[in-house]
Amino acid sequence: MFNYRFQWNQAWKRLPEMLDGAVVTMQVAVLSMVIGILLAILLTLFRRSGSRILSGIATTWVEIARNTPALFQIYMAHFGLAGLGLHLSPYQSLLLGITFNNAGYLAENFRGALKAIPDTQPRAGRSLGMSDLQAFRYIILPQMIRISFPTITNQMVWAVLMTSLGVTVGMNMDLYGVTQDLNALTFRTFELFAMAAVIFYVIVKIIQAGAWLISRRLFRY
Amino acid sequence: MKTSVLTLAAVAATALTGPAFADKLDDIISSGTLRCAVVLDFPPMGSRDADNNPQGFDVDYCNDLAAALGVTAEVVETTFPERIPALVSGQVDVAVASTSDTLERAKTVGFTIPYYAFENAVTANEGVEMSTWEDLKGKTVGATAGTYEAIWLEGKVKEWGEGEFRPYQNQADVFLALSQGQLDATVSTVEVAEANVDSGNFPGIKIVDKAPMVPDYVALIALREDQGLINYMNLFINQQVRTGRYAELYAKWVGEGEPASLVIPGVYR
Amino acid sequence: MFDTALTANDFLFLAKGAGMTIFVTVIAVFFGTVLGIIFGVIRYQIGPVWAAPITFVLDIFRSIPLLIQLVLAYAFLGTVLRLGLSGLTVACIVLTLYTSAYCAEIVRGGIEAVPLTLRRASRSLGMTWGQDMRNIVMPLATRVALPSWIGLALGVMKDSALVYVVQVTELLKSTQILITRLQEPLLLLMICGAFYFLISFPVARFGGYLEKRWSND
Repeated sequence: MFNYRFQWNQAWKRLPEMLDGAVVTMQVAVLSMVIGILLAILLTLFRRSGSRILSGIATTWVEIARNTPALFQIYMAHFGLAGLGLHLSPYQSLLLGITFNNAGYLAENFRGALKAIPDTQPRAGRSLGMSDLQAFRYIILPQMIRISFPTITNQMVWAVLMTSLGVTVGMNMDLYGVTQDLNALTFRTFELFAMAAVIFYVIVKIIQAGAWLISRRLFRY
Repeated sequence: MKTSVLTLAAVAATALTGPAFADKLDDIISSGTLRCAVVLDFPPMGSRDADNNPQGFDVDYCNDLAAALGVTAEVVETTFPERIPALVSGQVDVAVASTSDTLERAKTVGFTIPYYAFENAVTANEGVEMSTWEDLKGKTVGATAGTYEAIWLEGKVKEWGEGEFRPYQNQADVFLALSQGQLDATVSTVEVAEANVDSGNFPGIKIVDKAPMVPDYVALIALREDQGLINYMNLFINQQVRTGRYAELYAKWVGEGEPASLVIPGVYR
Repeated sequence: MFDTALTANDFLFLAKGAGMTIFVTVIAVFFGTVLGIIFGVIRYQIGPVWAAPITFVLDIFRSIPLLIQLVLAYAFLGTVLRLGLSGLTVACIVLTLYTSAYCAEIVRGGIEAVPLTLRRASRSLGMTWGQDMRNIVMPLATRVALPSWIGLALGVMKDSALVYVVQVTELLKSTQILITRLQEPLLLLMICGAFYFLISFPVARFGGYLEKRWSND
C-alpha cells in the first residue's frame, strides 16, 4: 500500500529558495491590503457622496469583485488589459488583481459597519463645526475600522492565499511560483507542495497572532 | 484466539501487499483502457479540432500504443506542470506528453527511450529588434512552465543577470503574451513556433533564430517501478520507427522533410 | 466585437464546463454543509478544549491555498495511497472539506448568537436537548447564519475555478481551451465572467435582502 518513498531532503534542500518566495508573497499581500483598504475607504466615500456616477462606479467595482472568481480577476488584469494595450508585469497584474478583490470585499464590509454607527454621531460632529470629511475622518473612520477589524484580518489571510493564483499570469517569484518551478525541475510534487503548505500555514498563523496583538492594544476600552 | 488473530493479520498483509506486486502492464491489458496524459495546447503534438476533440502527434501515438496493447485509448488532457502529478497520482498510466528526459526528473519517474526529438527556436515580437538568439539577453522572455526550454531559458536569464523570465501555465498563454507585446521573445520547439506563426492566430510574431540547445529528446513516461510497461514501450517506440509509422506521423503532423533522428552517435542507447 | 469564430458547438462546450462548475459546487456545498453542521454542533457541544483537534484540522483548510490543498490531496491520495480516484472525485472531496471548514465556523457563530437564557428557559420547560436544538436553536441560528452561508456557497462556486489543477474541465478551463484554439481572449473571458456574475449576483442580492429583513427584529 505504502510503496511511495518520501524524499524529504529533496524539498528540505530547497527551503531557502522557498522562504525567499514567501517574502515576495508577504510583500504582495501587505501591499495589496494597504492599497486595498485605502481604495475601500475611497469607495465607501463614493457611495456616501450622493453622486450617481461616483456611487455607480463604487457599486460596479464592489459587485464585480465579489461576484467573479479571483482567478478570473487576476487573469483579466494580465491578458484582458493587455488586449486593451496596457501591459502589466506578472507582479503588477497579481498585485492589481488581489487589490481589486480586497477593495471590493472590504468596501462591502465597511458599508455594513457604517450601519452600526448611529447617524447622530457625525451630525453631532458637524454641529461642532467639523466639515463633512472631518466628521468622516475623525468620528466614523476609526469606529468603522474597529468594527471591521476581524474582516480586515480575514481578508489579509485571503490576500496571502490568493497570491498562489499568480502562476496563471507568469509569476514565479512568490511561494507558489517558486514551488512550481522546483517541481518542474525535480518532479517531487508531494514533498515540495507539503512544504509550501506548511510555510503558508505559518504565515497565516503569524498574521492572526499579529492581528490579535494589535486588536488588544488598539481597541482596549 | 491468538493464532486466529495472527492468521487474520497474515491474510490482511497478503491482501494489502498483493496489489503492489501486480504488474502495471497486466493491469492495463485486463482493464481494457490505456489512459494517456497528453498536453493539448502544444500543436502539432497535441491540440483540439473544431469540435474540441483531441488531435495531434501525441494523440495518435497514444492511440497506436493502445492499439498495440489491444485496448482502447483514453486521452486525459493535462498542462505541462500537471502531467507528473497526474501520472504519480495514478490518474493516467503513461504520459505521452513530449517530456524531456533529464537526469533530475529520472530520479522520480521512469523514462523510455526517446520517441521524438525537438529543436528549439527563438520567436520574437515583430516590434523587437532581434537577429540572433544572443539578443535574448536583457529582454523580457517567457516560456511554458515546466518544460525543458523554460528551464534552459530561466538558467540563461540568471546567468546573464539582466532581463526577466516569466513562466506561463501553457503554451497558448506564452504566445498570447508574445503577440500582445507583454513578452519580447520566447523559446519553444521549432514545430510549435512554426505552427503558431502559420496559424495566423498570433499576429505580429516572427521566428528569429534556432536556440543553441542540444536536441531536446523527449520520451514517454510511466512510474519508475513499472519496468514491464517501460520495456514494452521501448520496443513499441523501436517498432514505430521500424515500420515507418514514425515517418508517417511526422509527415501528417509536422510536415515535409526527414523526421528527427532518435539515434545518438557514439553511445549505446 | 461580434465578428467571431465562435460556433454553436463552442457554446455547447462552454455550457458543459458551466455544468461541471455547478455540479462540483452543488456536491461540495451540500455535503460540506452537512459536515459543517455536524462539526459545528460537536464543537459547540463539547467545548473548546475537547474540540481542539477538530478546530485544528478544520483551521488547516482555511490557512492553506485551495490550489495547494488540491495538488496535495491529488498527490497524496494517488501517489502515496494509490487509490485510483478520478480528478473529479478528488476535487469534490477537497471542496467538500473546504466548505465544511468554513460552514462549521458559521454554524458555531449561529448557535452562539442564540441567547443562553432562552435555551435554559426551553430546557426548564421540559424540552429535551434534541427538542431545544430543533425548535429553539435551529430557527434562530438559521436566521443569523443563512446570509453568511449564502456567501459561502457563492464563494465555493467561485473557488471551484481552481479544480482545473486536478484535470477537471470546468467553466474557466473550458474558456482557456477555447482561447487556445480561437485566440479571442477578451470576448471569451467576458462571456466566462458574465456567467459567474449572472449566477452569483442575484443570489448575493437575495442574501443581502434576507439579512436586511431579518436584522430588523
